Amino acid sequence: MQTNKMENHMNRREALQRVALLMGGTISAPLLNAVLSGCAPSARQVEKPWLPQTLTPEQNELVAAMAEMIIPATDTPGARAAKVNEFIDLILTEWYSSEERVRFVDGLNDLARRFQQAHGKDFLAGTTEQQTAMLTALDDEALAARRTGVKDLPFFAMMKELTLVGYYTSTIGMTEELVFQPATDRFEGCIPLGRVGKTWAELN
Amino acid sequence: MNAFNILKKQTYDAIVVGSGISGGWAAKELTEKGLKTLVLERGRMVEHGKDYVTEDKGAWEFRYRGMGERKLYETEYPKQSTCYAFGEATKHFFVNDKEHPYTHDADKPFTWIRGYHLGGRSLMWGRQSYRWSNLDFEANARDGFGVDWPIRYEELAPWYDYVEEFAGISGSREGIPHLPDGIFLPPMEMNCVETHVKEHVEKNFDGRKIIIGRVAVLTVPHKGRQRCHYCGPCHRGCSNGAYFSSLSSTLPAALATGNLTIRANSVAHSVIYDEEKDRAVGVRVIDAVTHEALEFHAKVIFLCASTIASAQIMLNSTSRRFPTGLANSSGALGHYLMDHPYEAGATAEFTNFEDEYYSGNRPNGIYIPRYQNLDAKTQNKNYLRGFGCQGGATRVGWERGKFMPGFGADFKHALRKPAQWQIWVGGWGEHLPRYENYVELDHNHKDAWGIPILKLHCKWSDNENKMREHMRDSVAEMLEAAGGKNVRPFLNEDPPGYCIHEMGTARMGRDPKTSVLNGWNQCHDVKNVFITDGSAMASSACQNPSLTYMALTARACDYAVKEITRGNL
Repeated sequence: MQTNKMENHMNRREALQRVALLMGGTISAPLLNAVLSGCAPSARQVEKPWLPQTLTPEQNELVAAMAEMIIPATDTPGARAAKVNEFIDLILTEWYSSEERVRFVDGLNDLARRFQQAHGKDFLAGTTEQQTAMLTALDDEALAARRTGVKDLPFFAMMKELTLVGYYTSTIGMTEELVFQPATDRFEGCIPLGRVGKTWAELN
Repeated sequence: MNAFNILKKQTYDAIVVGSGISGGWAAKELTEKGLKTLVLERGRMVEHGKDYVTEDKGAWEFRYRGMGERKLYETEYPKQSTCYAFGEATKHFFVNDKEHPYTHDADKPFTWIRGYHLGGRSLMWGRQSYRWSNLDFEANARDGFGVDWPIRYEELAPWYDYVEEFAGISGSREGIPHLPDGIFLPPMEMNCVETHVKEHVEKNFDGRKIIIGRVAVLTVPHKGRQRCHYCGPCHRGCSNGAYFSSLSSTLPAALATGNLTIRANSVAHSVIYDEEKDRAVGVRVIDAVTHEALEFHAKVIFLCASTIASAQIMLNSTSRRFPTGLANSSGALGHYLMDHPYEAGATAEFTNFEDEYYSGNRPNGIYIPRYQNLDAKTQNKNYLRGFGCQGGATRVGWERGKFMPGFGADFKHALRKPAQWQIWVGGWGEHLPRYENYVELDHNHKDAWGIPILKLHCKWSDNENKMREHMRDSVAEMLEAAGGKNVRPFLNEDPPGYCIHEMGTARMGRDPKTSVLNGWNQCHDVKNVFITDGSAMASSACQNPSLTYMALTARACDYAVKEITRGNL
């Protein structure tokens, strides 16, 4: 009985995906899940505004802007659209040790201070060239630290890694930037890359 | 599974303790042969499909996106969280280490990975399924470590056929004498780098082969179960039943007979032995939720609780006749604990397949059958017995970004394309059976159900350490020969248990003075108690053992029912 139920479920899923393809687009996984479970997103559900728990509003804006500089919107949405800043604040609040949290926030403040000293204005008010130069310097330091095997990574190494994780594990990252294929008829060991074109987004 | 019988009576024809791979098979075989059978599962009920609560979830649906609930793991799951299959998507299938403690010598760590729920570790197992051969069943007799197996491959071969035909094993027929072919569903494909490595290794190393893994995953529909859809994370559970588990396969078959009763939350305390009758009469159980003590009676008892847990139950079943544990006149009970040494091998990169890719997340890898100590030509002077290798090649994805300089649009678009191919190959080796590797009850410490917790004593010997060094060097040599770039040998210092292939604590043997079980998985001393999980193994071989547990269990059930019919039990 369970099996039949699942077959129906799968058929429905496949049918929905086919419909989405016919309509010339893809149906996003959360929407697909909502439709499958019979509860379309309700207009009455009022989304609570998100507020950072660890970062100040200014720091949060700085993190969001920097994440967007690392993974910008191009032909696909970037880190800001994927709410990478919300993920980073969550990790700072719940996942990092207090030492790691302090290292990250101190690094963020230090960057703001260095920018202010160099250019006499806030990072966010700087020109793209000034901002890029600053991040390039920080990126060089971060990679040098990684190469020497430093255990306590500097701020920008943390920032870059969290941005990558936050982006490529988001719906945007997995289903728009990469190619998400949760089911296929058979495993094909060797196909031309051109048939996929991009990296698979993998579940694990 | 709402069709489970409501518990009405306390007496059955058979009791099976445990519902993992072995317990599921025992339940299926005994019920299909007409025995009213009670399965005792110490953990919670899990319903196939419905309780695979993370099955379809994308990474974004997990709070920490797969990075894990780090702080919780440190305090509650320090051992379980070291398992490759453990994570935000699967934590509910692993025990809380704090609630289920065990100890070990400070200098001999042991990693005991467990899942307490209906189906046990069959829900999260690695699914690799290889037959053993007489190279394995004769190993103890050949070099004198351990006691001779009382059975040979020829006796088990029809039972391998039997369980493979039901379970559904995908694989390729290769004609390798020491890794016998089975009844296979169509094999999965290798990717182009794996095929490349295969060609070069087979050309450069006489007698070595690289084959696709033999795996309990359906490549075609089989026995009402659907074929694999290549999503990847099998260990979250598969509603389609595409991989073999107790929940997808054996328990539904047992349930269909109308002879099965399952009692979850039932911690087996001990086997009840009646001295006058000189036989076991039932199992003492502590209800995991109410802590109530209960007794269930049966003609025949199958212990399938896992190697270490079955030993615990037997050691805790004491009487005047068996003061050190049930059926332990040999003193072998709890001893000769084995696992497989692994996590030694090499990685390499391949740069010349830039335009090739794959489609699907294959739940399987490649396998290099054992190539050491097969004969005089392959003899290795540094160690006895040998290892097989497992591995696989993939293309590196966005994770490389943290090591890549730069940021911005070019950086993003570079990460959009898969990077170089990377291959990982490591050995899985044989662990010699040794008396000094054992489990014992710690009577000073009891768990929440009043049962003495286990103290484990186990370490690798020089033989396993030498073998692991050879795994590392030999794999690196093969990858070099195949043209791999940046070949990086590795040897991780993992403790026993980490491979999750525990075996040997109630070994089979011909002589009741040196072994617990006879060649039918039957206790020499107490004829109506059978142990058919990894406890029974007299040696560890180097192949993944679950398929052999299946075959031994089905064979033991057939024998037990015949003995009942003959009036011997």
